[in-house]
Amino acid sequence: MPDNVNCRQASRLLSAAYDRDLNATESEALQYHLGRCLMCRNFDTQLKFLRKASERFRTGGD
Amino acid sequence: MTDPRFADIESHRPYLLRYALSQLRDGQLAEEAVQEALVSALESVGTFGGKSTLRTWLTSILRFKVIDLQRRTVSDRTRLEPTDFSSQADDESWLDELFDETGHWRVPPQAWSDPEAALEQRRFWEMFEKCLDRLPPAGGRVFFKREILGEDTDTICKEERITTSNCWVILHRARLALRACVEKNWFGNEAARA
Repeated sequence: MPDNVNCRQASRLLSAAYDRDLNATESEALQYHLGRCLMCRNFDTQLKFLRKASERFRTGGD
Repeated sequence: MTDPRFADIESHRPYLLRYALSQLRDGQLAEEAVQEALVSALESVGTFGGKSTLRTWLTSILRFKVIDLQRRTVSDRTRLEPTDFSSQADDESWLDELFDETGHWRVPPQAWSDPEAALEQRRFWEMFEKCLDRLPPAGGRVFFKREILGEDTDTICKEERITTSNCWVILHRARLALRACVEKNWFGNEAARA
């Protein structure tokens, strides 16, 4: 399968996955791209961290 | 005789103001709500049992003040600043600043070193708030509701009177901007963490 999403599109799908369900085509294309792209894997990890930080920010963490 | 918790309470003011702004969209009303909430909190701090965090307790007080103010100003809706998302939702040229013509990152996201430790540092949170402040006002408000308050996207779109796909674009932009800001000012900046 060709890598038919680029980083720009992958970033959009990674963000969208927090707000809606990705369809099968989107999911597959995203996973394929992530498998080959360290930068987007970093971005994925960072989004997870930012969500965790945001949740902590709500309660003040104390 | 000063309760040491007074200073603690005051330290949450910036967060509370951000919360009030996200709900009321009016700086003056937001200030008013926060002021009333802090006065109530100071009066009843003795009843705070520590079952939740202080911030959560303060937010619950503020929520009532916000609802009260929304009721009182319901006939005066014209005071609300109209939401202007046009510059961010309709065209995606802002993405060109972050990605080149072939869709690659212009500044590749780095592996962040020990992010968990950052959560324990006061200066990390100061930087985090500054980065939130740098988001465009409307985008920052949507991000605050979605990521910090955990509201669902449909509710936010209705409140903001924007389409769902606009909501996604706005959130995508806010996440990218926040990520870049946090990387620049914390994880990519050894001096900040020292």
